[in-house]
Amino acid sequence: MTPIPFIRMGVFFYLKPMWVYLKLQFLILNRKTKDFGVPPILAYPLLLILLILLSNTLYAKTNYAGYFILTAALSLVSRLSEPKRNVFLKSLFNSNAYTYLRIVENIICCLPFTLFLTYKNQYLFVLALNVLALLIALLNFTRTLNFTIPTPFGKKPFEFVIGFRNTFFVFPIAYFLTYTSIRVDNFNLGIFSLLLTAITCFTYYNKPENIFFVRNYNLTPAAFLFEKTKTSFIYFTLLSLPIVVALSVSFFSKIDLILIFYLFCYVYLAAIVFAKYSAFPNTIEIQQVMLITISLLFPFSILLISPFFYVQSIKKLTPILND
Amino acid sequence: MIKIIQLSKYYGKKQVLNKMDLEFKAGNIYGVVGENGAGKTTLFKCLSGVESYKGLISSDYDNLKNHIGFLHTTPFFFTKITGKEYIQFMVNARNIKLLDIEDKNIFDLPLNQYATTYSSGMKKKLALTALLLQKNEVFILDEPFNGVDVHSNIIIVEIIKKLRGLNKIVIISSHIFSTLESICDVIYHIDKGILIEKVAPKDFKKLEAKMKEKTVGNRINNLGLK
Repeated sequence: MTPIPFIRMGVFFYLKPMWVYLKLQFLILNRKTKDFGVPPILAYPLLLILLILLSNTLYAKTNYAGYFILTAALSLVSRLSEPKRNVFLKSLFNSNAYTYLRIVENIICCLPFTLFLTYKNQYLFVLALNVLALLIALLNFTRTLNFTIPTPFGKKPFEFVIGFRNTFFVFPIAYFLTYTSIRVDNFNLGIFSLLLTAITCFTYYNKPENIFFVRNYNLTPAAFLFEKTKTSFIYFTLLSLPIVVALSVSFFSKIDLILIFYLFCYVYLAAIVFAKYSAFPNTIEIQQVMLITISLLFPFSILLISPFFYVQSIKKLTPILND
Repeated sequence: MIKIIQLSKYYGKKQVLNKMDLEFKAGNIYGVVGENGAGKTTLFKCLSGVESYKGLISSDYDNLKNHIGFLHTTPFFFTKITGKEYIQFMVNARNIKLLDIEDKNIFDLPLNQYATTYSSGMKKKLALTALLLQKNEVFILDEPFNGVDVHSNIIIVEIIKKLRGLNKIVIISSHIFSTLESICDVIYHIDKGILIEKVAPKDFKKLEAKMKEKTVGNRINNLGLK
């Protein structure tokens, strides 16, 4: 049956193909959570609880929580704008269906954040988030920009080069927070800016590379891990040193605390590098995530967990790097 | 020299390679031909150690994997990494110091652009450049001419000949028989995971005719084209 012209013009006409597509996306997401080791029925409530806990902590610790949540939501939404994916979608749907689909996708992606911000009566952020999500859906991201973001990590190009280019916008925010913390004499905000930098760098190690690129190394497993850790330390220092120096000078009486936090950043960075290769060639699994979560609750346990990851990494890398 | 004895490979219960015996000597160019799914890429993966296998692969090199440069049919690139950084990453893995990468850019690639923005031919040329700069002893080139423009194909052929002169082992698979015919010292013909024959240059023409007969046969007539 042909839909009446009014409906034919609107979103309803595209409901069925959109519904099929979204159902498929949901199925893929469920498979990903299963592969990660968590059944979907548990994964979604857990993610929601985690979001609420983290957001509440942000609201308790800083006045800029709304901005952080907005940034986090938009960075998640912007991942849906990946050019290759959009070229594929455009070839699949006609232009109206494509636009509706992208809007619906982005709004769904924002939904948990929208609900939380509504609960917090942050209506301005709710409006900003959804308007920006809508605008991102309308922008054409089907062409990859030829502009290359410069990085200081060209000598050992891999995790930090790619990671920095994906998260470059975090660093001006982190440095601005450091500056603000000094200006308003808020030490906690300063430490938060350091942790923001560290956590951003941790995310550079969340995906395994193709096995070919590891096998390519003319190194023993121990030397390979040493090389990876050394590079991560040098490049993390490059990004975090301005914050640490500024905080040390401005909050000199608390330099011991700053150095303890800084030291823990390095310990965690090494643990994350080891955790990545302890699951290699698979992505980090539930076991590693659980151990890292435990270490966040009992920070000194990382001193035991890190060597455990190291031993596991050596086991995983031995058949790949040795003939 | 590389010696492969009784090489077998299973994916689950499916046997992909069946007790293959092959030999590759330094200073020679080897072609590997066979239909799609014959087991060429699996053979290369086993040889480069990316896949586990049954059988024995021995060589004169201390640790074969550190001397192999494997050009995949579709080379893999990280997102947001430039051509220059890719080359740097690959040579770092072999502890090789490069003073001037631009100077080695024989294919005139836009090295400061992200590799993922390259065309498929440019990606192949970038991957090949990186493998050459790793100073490998063994080169496995899986379809090196696919998607590459005519001029670059000429350069690739000359590079392969140069590698033979430098006493390297070059193993190539290609669906362009004429190219293989013009550069190979030996062609291995494989089918359904079995080594059918080892062919010397004087018999290349016969091999081509045999493959054409087997592949084409009466199939085109069956289409009933008018």
